[in-house]
Amino acid sequence: MRHEIWLAALSDELRRHGVGPDLAGHVVAEAAGHLRDSGEPPLRAFGPPDAYAAAVADSVGGPAFVSRSAGPVRLRAVDIVKRYGKRTVLSGVSLTVRAGQVAAVVGANGSGKSTFLRICAGLDGADGGQVEVHGTLGYCPQAGGTADFLRADEHFTLIGAGRGVSRPAAARAGARQAAALDWAPGDAQARHLSGGTRQKLNLVLAGLGDPDVLLLDEPYQGFDRGTYLDFWHEVWRWRDAGRAVVVVTHLLNQLDRVDVVLDLSGVAA
Amino acid sequence: MAVLACLTVDQDRRAQWLRGVLDLCVLGLLARGDSYGYELAQSLQTAGLGAIQGGTLYPVLLRLQRSGLVTVYWREGGGGPARKYYTISAAGLAVVADAAGQWAAFAGGVGAILQERTAR
Repeated sequence: MRHEIWLAALSDELRRHGVGPDLAGHVVAEAAGHLRDSGEPPLRAFGPPDAYAAAVADSVGGPAFVSRSAGPVRLRAVDIVKRYGKRTVLSGVSLTVRAGQVAAVVGANGSGKSTFLRICAGLDGADGGQVEVHGTLGYCPQAGGTADFLRADEHFTLIGAGRGVSRPAAARAGARQAAALDWAPGDAQARHLSGGTRQKLNLVLAGLGDPDVLLLDEPYQGFDRGTYLDFWHEVWRWRDAGRAVVVVTHLLNQLDRVDVVLDLSGVAA
Repeated sequence: MAVLACLTVDQDRRAQWLRGVLDLCVLGLLARGDSYGYELAQSLQTAGLGAIQGGTLYPVLLRLQRSGLVTVYWREGGGGPARKYYTISAAGLAVVADAAGQWAAFAGGVGAILQERTAR
């Protein structure tokens, strides 16, 4: 019972120190696990709640990046123009992303974020401009993209086959990537998965075969907070592995940690 | 390192040493395989680094996570609630490889000086 009091106090202190609710929840859960495993009294293991919260806030406040150099250009979109009838959605939008970089595409609803990504992926044509992709490409749509009557492992096999990945290798890669998103795929067909889990499947499929360029269109719809953090950790992992990652997002709290920001707000009419 | 183990070391000095190398030791352990906080604390103790309190260990893990040297995932424990597991990243492995050489040179230098002194 004394653990509960200490953990509740820690929770309050983390908030007071400006630690966000997602991270604070993780820190408290991890401390609770440690106390349970070690059987130690909280004051001995962690010290007073305010001091530990200060140490946590200090640890996460530092710069996010390890210094590193970006590699060769993987994606170059130049002066992309797209019109729907008389409405110009994209008027001369350019973006260059190198290996080992993360680009965020931001902007209000209707500013053409998804359209831009679909043009980069080659799924839509542009009315002007040019897209170069150097290497293989993985694309994760906002929704859809899965086959209702196939199980997750069948998706891995299917998409893997299209990228020259053998069946066992695709199954292994799929399971590993799913685990990173806190998901253990079972026997359910895709139509029986929740929206969030279907998006996890989409995301796993986008990364199968380790494509050089990953285009992710707000892939975290329906994710809970923990999985949302897991998603960004996967993005950093891809970046560290030398992939070029483009994420369409309307959530701005990760922008201090990306390499390139393309803001489409106010570009179109 | 045998010569160091022979010395009677006060806790303060030991804590200072640890501060300089704890993150590297954690990375080194993670290079052997994924692990979680309490298990890392036990491994560090087994390795002879003494009892590392949670209040010391977890902020180090957060810094490693923040700087991209480790990644994390949550996994259900044996019947208990989920545990936060740490995986070393490619960048983390590079740091361990660099540090191993640097530390050997540093510890060798310290060892040589201390040994010379006690030999007199």
